[in-house]
Amino acid sequence: MKGARFDQLRTFWAEFRRVKSGLVGLALLGVFILIVLLAPWLSPYSQADKRWRDMTYWIDSPRDARPLWVNWFTSRKYTETQTINAASSKETITGSGSSTMRIEEMEFPYQYKAGYPPNDIMIKLGVTGRSSYEVLIVRPDGKQMSYRGSTTIEGAQVVRLSVVETLASRVYAALAPSEDPAFAAQKDPTQIDPMSALFAKAQPGVFTNPVNVPGTYTVKVKLALIGPDAKLDTSQVLVMGGVSGILGTDDGKRDLWSGVVAGTKWALLLGLLTSLISVAVGVIYGVASGYFGGWIDALMNRIYEVFTSIPLLPILIVMSAVFKPSIWIMILVMCVFFWTGPVKTVRSIALQIKENAYIEAARGLGASHGRILFRHLVPQLLPFAFASMALSVPGAIVTESSLSLIGLGDATVVTWGQILRDAFGSGAVLKGVWWWVVPPGLAIAVMGMTFAFIGFAMDTILNPRLKTR
Amino acid sequence: MYWKYVVRRILYAALIMVVCVFIFSALFNTVADKVMRGQIDEQVKGEIVQIQKSNRGMHPEQLQAIRDQRTAQLYAQYHLNEPMMQRIMYRTLSSLVFNFGTSTQMKSLAGSNNVNTIIYERIPRTLLLFGVAAVLDIILGVWLGLVKARRAGKMMDRSTDLVTMVLFGLPLWWLGMMFIMLFAFAIPIFPSSAMHASPPPADALGNFLDLMHHLALPVITIVLFGFWGRAYITRNLVVSTLQEDFIMSARARGLSERRILFGHTLRSAAPPIVTMSLLALVVSIGGGLIFEGIFSWPGLGNLYWQAVQQNDVPVLMADLMVTTVLFIACLAFLDLIYGFLDPRVKVGGKA
Repeated sequence: MKGARFDQLRTFWAEFRRVKSGLVGLALLGVFILIVLLAPWLSPYSQADKRWRDMTYWIDSPRDARPLWVNWFTSRKYTETQTINAASSKETITGSGSSTMRIEEMEFPYQYKAGYPPNDIMIKLGVTGRSSYEVLIVRPDGKQMSYRGSTTIEGAQVVRLSVVETLASRVYAALAPSEDPAFAAQKDPTQIDPMSALFAKAQPGVFTNPVNVPGTYTVKVKLALIGPDAKLDTSQVLVMGGVSGILGTDDGKRDLWSGVVAGTKWALLLGLLTSLISVAVGVIYGVASGYFGGWIDALMNRIYEVFTSIPLLPILIVMSAVFKPSIWIMILVMCVFFWTGPVKTVRSIALQIKENAYIEAARGLGASHGRILFRHLVPQLLPFAFASMALSVPGAIVTESSLSLIGLGDATVVTWGQILRDAFGSGAVLKGVWWWVVPPGLAIAVMGMTFAFIGFAMDTILNPRLKTR
Repeated sequence: MYWKYVVRRILYAALIMVVCVFIFSALFNTVADKVMRGQIDEQVKGEIVQIQKSNRGMHPEQLQAIRDQRTAQLYAQYHLNEPMMQRIMYRTLSSLVFNFGTSTQMKSLAGSNNVNTIIYERIPRTLLLFGVAAVLDIILGVWLGLVKARRAGKMMDRSTDLVTMVLFGLPLWWLGMMFIMLFAFAIPIFPSSAMHASPPPADALGNFLDLMHHLALPVITIVLFGFWGRAYITRNLVVSTLQEDFIMSARARGLSERRILFGHTLRSAAPPIVTMSLLALVVSIGGGLIFEGIFSWPGLGNLYWQAVQQNDVPVLMADLMVTTVLFIACLAFLDLIYGFLDPRVKVGGKA
């Protein structure tokens, strides 16, 4: 029996190899599995999966950046994200003992070439202990803006100064004199775009119609460390570019490529697990229903019909809204409604098989119902079961993303549907933030296609009549 | 004899409906009770405040007594103190007569918080959107399916099969997002959301055209997404009919391919084409309902979004019940069409 089953699968594979789309599907599946296995090396943010919603994890990457490769197709380039270390630094120490004060002076030159200015510039200082600092941004034309601040608590801390968030008013103050006086008087300082003004020629129109000036923009930091234990741990200037990473970033600074990679694992997992359980249940249910016949068959048919009469997504929405399930419970709940898929076909095949003489012979030899079901009927349905398994994976993935889209996903994991929900919720669709909307949806589509290719290829083998006339 | 089949099928649908409503009532009994108790407590609190205002000198204990009595009275009125099984039966019965109570947050257009009003004003909108889409979908799908079947195995057939497979695991709502980005943001030729411009045009013709303008993009999305599937079903049914003996004999008699296709093949393949297409459509609409939320189309599907966001359990449950009832009614209606088109179904009496 075992050998026969193996032969059957081998003939199946020999036929499968001849269907081109099926092989493409298998190759794509291989790619997805590779992505899952290589995820730690593929994604630049290794903890993206666990800390997707932890905004502190993403704080040092640019907001709303386009994918890197956008620059290949535009004439006006977006600035790339880069980290600048101090080009020169000077340390002076005054006082001694408990009144020691060390003054660190550092310069961070940034070469701005033509193109769109960066999305933001962030000055990042890691300080232990108390300190006070002054940050000065000097433009090529000599205009400058400054900001003073201090750290007052003991222990290590990181100061992040963002031009957009903290220095916007300074930029306005430095450049307003150059702007057309009538306009400068009425323009609301909070309404200007500080980054394009910062990199624009100081002339009338600097806020409304900025003309970018390439050159060296220098960030000067003067830091006074107060006390003997105070020290400077790190100092960097982060130029938050207009492009970043393979797929850009969203409005929460999250790297979308890392998100899509992390989502692959969950899509594959929940798709395969749901289809495996539900098809297994469905096949056994259908076989039992067809094999036993009589009132058992009638009863099982009625139960089946009740399940198929309930619209799938609405009931899942309400159940998720009421019970707030984790991803694992969600998989189980999906199985409760997905198992009906193969039942009808399996039942009719089982009805045919059970008329065979060898079933009767097995019965006559004293084989139990269970043995006949699992040794004689189910094995013959394996190819069909694989086909319907492949074809029900996309449904499970789409269902989970639909639930996530409404906001009912498991918030402890990253799925493609949840990335799309964030995108839709923050208006990415209407603002045209395509690099946030396209990749996760495309990933769902390609994974669906992968399993469709595999499933349909098996289907053509199982129903040879459909090929051609 | 057809009417007998009709009666039996409708009775059977009604029975399934009762079972489904019972399952829902049992499944969501606890949460629905909790919400109802909350609503009653809220109502009694309001009444107590009123009483307090009208006669100020009332003793707190007296107020508490009135409060307890009123709460108990309302609990009894809504059968909240009875054992769980009776509660479930009571809820099943009141859902079956479409008595869904009041919402916790949401309001209808006129400001009513009666759940029935909220639901009823949305049903026609959903039927409009998906009805128009379904008609176009089937016309295009059957046409493409016939073209594919005539050239089975050729370039055209295989390339459209490929499209079917590519679209197989694609969420309809994502396609909606893409189309909004393309045709409402990049090339603004369609409105991105809602059913009417605000304010809507005053005259009837303007109003109608405005509705069509808003309807266009969602309908295009649904049709472009779905008609490949319809074509696939049609093609497979027609191709397997073309292999029947009577087609071979028709060919042997020298009939033209055209006559064979329309006169012989389609005549015998039509019933399953119609029902399988409609069935696939109804099932896909069950999953596509939330697609309305992408276009802010104010129908039953969008109601799921809003009810989830506002955590309005009564509306959510009523929406589920109404969707299920519509779904079952559609399935029964399909069987009736099938029985009408294919007399063999009635003889067995089995759907």
